[in-house]
Amino acid sequence: MDPLFVPPAHTLTPRIRTAVLCIAVGFLVLLLRLWYLQILEGNRYFMLSTSNRLRVRPVEAPRGFILDRNGEILVENRPTFDLYVTPEDVTSPKEVAAALAEILRVTPAEIEARLAEGSLQPYQPLLLRKDLDERMMVAVEERKLDLPGVSLRIRPVRAYPGGGMAANLLGYVSEVNQAQLAREEYQDFRPGDNIGQAGVERRFDAFIRGLDGGEQVEVDARGRAVRLVSRIEPRSGSNIYLTIDKRIQEAAEAAFAGKKGAVVAMNPTTGEILAMVSRPSYDPNLFAQRLSGEDWQRIATDPNHPLQNRAFQAQYPPGSVFKLIVAIAGLESGALTPETKFNCPGYFYLGNVRFDDWKKGGHGTLDLRGAIVNSCNVYFYQAGLRVGIEEITRVARAFGLGEPPGLDLGDEAKGHLPDPAPRLRRGWSAGNTVVASIGQGLVVTSPMQLLTMVSAIANGGTIYRPWVVKKIASLSGEILEEYEPAPVRQVQVKPETLAFIRQAMLGVVNEGTGARAKVPGLPIGGKTGTAQVVRKGEGKGQAELKDHGWFVSFAPVDNPQIALVVLVENGGFGGQVAAPVAKAIYEAALGPRQPFLRPEIAEAREQDIGD
Amino acid sequence: MLDRRLLTHFDWWFAGTILGMAVLGILTIYSANSLAMSPFRQNLYLRQIIWVGLGLVALVAACLVSYRTLARFAYLLFGVNLLLLLLVLVIGKAGLGAHRWLRIGGFAFQPSEFAKLGLVLFLARYFDDHRERLREPRIMLLPAALTGLCMLLVLKQPDLGTALLLGFIALSLMLMLGLDWRHLLPFAAGGVALAPLLWMFLKDYQRRRILVFLNPDLDPLGAGYHIAQSKIAVGSGGFLGKGWLAASQSQLNFLPLNHTDFIFAVLAEQWGFLGSLLVLLAYFYIISKGLHIARECTDLFAALLAAGISAMLAIQVLINTAMVLGMMPVVGIPLPLLSYGGSSLLATMLGLGLLLNIYMRRFLY
Repeated sequence: MDPLFVPPAHTLTPRIRTAVLCIAVGFLVLLLRLWYLQILEGNRYFMLSTSNRLRVRPVEAPRGFILDRNGEILVENRPTFDLYVTPEDVTSPKEVAAALAEILRVTPAEIEARLAEGSLQPYQPLLLRKDLDERMMVAVEERKLDLPGVSLRIRPVRAYPGGGMAANLLGYVSEVNQAQLAREEYQDFRPGDNIGQAGVERRFDAFIRGLDGGEQVEVDARGRAVRLVSRIEPRSGSNIYLTIDKRIQEAAEAAFAGKKGAVVAMNPTTGEILAMVSRPSYDPNLFAQRLSGEDWQRIATDPNHPLQNRAFQAQYPPGSVFKLIVAIAGLESGALTPETKFNCPGYFYLGNVRFDDWKKGGHGTLDLRGAIVNSCNVYFYQAGLRVGIEEITRVARAFGLGEPPGLDLGDEAKGHLPDPAPRLRRGWSAGNTVVASIGQGLVVTSPMQLLTMVSAIANGGTIYRPWVVKKIASLSGEILEEYEPAPVRQVQVKPETLAFIRQAMLGVVNEGTGARAKVPGLPIGGKTGTAQVVRKGEGKGQAELKDHGWFVSFAPVDNPQIALVVLVENGGFGGQVAAPVAKAIYEAALGPRQPFLRPEIAEAREQDIGD
Repeated sequence: MLDRRLLTHFDWWFAGTILGMAVLGILTIYSANSLAMSPFRQNLYLRQIIWVGLGLVALVAACLVSYRTLARFAYLLFGVNLLLLLLVLVIGKAGLGAHRWLRIGGFAFQPSEFAKLGLVLFLARYFDDHRERLREPRIMLLPAALTGLCMLLVLKQPDLGTALLLGFIALSLMLMLGLDWRHLLPFAAGGVALAPLLWMFLKDYQRRRILVFLNPDLDPLGAGYHIAQSKIAVGSGGFLGKGWLAASQSQLNFLPLNHTDFIFAVLAEQWGFLGSLLVLLAYFYIISKGLHIARECTDLFAALLAAGISAMLAIQVLINTAMVLGMMPVVGIPLPLLSYGGSSLLATMLGLGLLLNIYMRRFLY
């Protein structure tokens, strides 16, 4: 054959005949199998499908534990007992109902009504009461002989030994709701299944939940379980190790007792969250059992929003904390130097509009460090005008303000900054810049954003993504996932700028507005802030309109191990209400050290603790 | 591009059978989930209606452009497909849960379903390009390597069924091309040697399924339960079936995945031996028609494309049905046209559209 002439398609022909033949044989085999199953064995299978079928009873898998970074238990499971009745086995419903009514403290009529409901499927055990208490358990065991058809089943229930500790971070578990069942990602859930509904419990539910087991029982024509065919043990979920340090968390909870707002601690060199408090909060133990409608109503309609995690889901004006950004922007652009001085007579006139300082009579003439240490508003009004709003917002953005920090635990507040492009800032005036320079007006941030910002100042300019889960391990200890620090970006900023800011922040705690955070022997760098809820003069005195107090800080200044943000909603001056919280946490976490400063500088005068 | 001459060669019987099967799929999905407790499940048939609509659009679209034009983009399409498979692994790694899906907007699709078609396209074009050297064994190396890569990416998802399917499709194409059986011997030997390695590569549940198939008593509640329930559903259908919406076994959630991989069990329970026979005949008609088209082609690319698509359908139908009837281990392969799932349906419709495309133009070239 001519090698250039290849009639290709026709080379396929014989093989295709073979293919058709093979496929035909395949189909024939399938038909024979169908004939066997449906015709020859059809009756047997028909019987199996109607009268003698196999039933599966799911057995819920225990959820994995949640532990802190050192393996201390934060969330575990507690065995509970549920009371079941199999109507068919109840010989005298009246007597049993009376006895059970006494034990469960309900009316006999209620029990009889439930038994009547269940009589349609008399062989199906009927759930009468979940989670019996100690007394009921004893009573049922004692009177077992008088209670034919009554049985107890054990079931693991979520338990939070810390009560409301870190509740908003850990989240809670409850039954999957109707709205969820209608969605694709929940299509394999049955009504009544438990599922993590918030925080870590929800985000890592796929790891925590484990694999439900089941009992396969053969039931007869009337639905009675004839025998247990097999039982698959449920497989327990994986254990989640958090980055949280229980010791620091407990200290933060204790220090924040009775306050409203948030506290978050972070390792500034990795982004690991060491503690997270949000108040007001809730007791997740309440959700683990079926929550009474009353309790749910109380929590859901609480005007204080206890379900919101204020650490990253709420946003507030940063107040004077924002002066750090103005200072960095000024130093970087050259608009300010450490030597730049402005005079503060206690007020500042822009045209004929008067802006006050928080301190009556003013601070006198200050340089940049003095302005940060004393948190002088008048200095920063003028500094902000000199730096310009473009530069300020550019630096704020670089430090992660105005974008979600990326915690990935549900909705995150992204805060707000003035738009850097002048044409988009419609109606922007110099007055707006003045207000923004002290972190009021159009500047809004979440506590988590200020924490990543102060961490970057502490670590030399690296923005880390905050993270809470360190690793996930199976029950047998096999590591399934392990997480690493995730730097988002390195902020382009001169090392000496950040060094200057750190020293100024050290001054804030040692001699300035943050003096109440001072821990002898521990060099802490901090910045206070007070965010106005309303304009001065309006609604003063009403508790819910009081200012929010901020304190951001890190320690030790030369070798930062912990960065902290404290926000006290409606608490007043940050230096007065937030700084002491930080002090208590540092004392617990890092302990007192040898004094390193001369005592006369360390003493700050009471009246300077304002903002 | 579509003159009247083409329309006269359009095969209405073929298109009608396809439409009929798709509608049967919707009806079966509706009945399979009518007693489901999740409202999402209850409304699945509505989604399937949308998918069938989109599938028909895809089928018509696949008819419009000449397959010659398609041949020009074959390599590009396959390359894009490989990239998407890679993307699934990368993105799947970042999230939790299923790793087979890519989300674009609110729209999720499975690149592995389209990979079957992409692989056929690639192989057809490649063999057509090298038509003069097909007798040289080393011509088979690149297709074998790329098929292997494709399988590996899908296996990693993990999706054992689709990975095996890709291998079978490539193998059947090579065989139809005239590959000598004896050339396969080293591969078979290699396969046997690699089996323990593959075994280590498999996920726990995949190993369990194979073990359970070999010995169903190992796990009567898990995978064994699946097969047992499926057999009960099929067998209880008898000769005429229990009727639509009256199939207690498959509707009462005894049978998980009853709307996707096990839909044939629902069908067999509802319509019995007679219904199953008709469905299998319809499949045989579609497949043998495809192979007939392949035989009539004078163009090697078209012949291989038609043969590959037919092989893809045949292997899927045979494996899925054999699995439902308890003759094979449970591997996740949907039944073309009937199973719920947009990606599977779209890929099947595109393939069938290409068959029609070739059939319409058989006298043009």
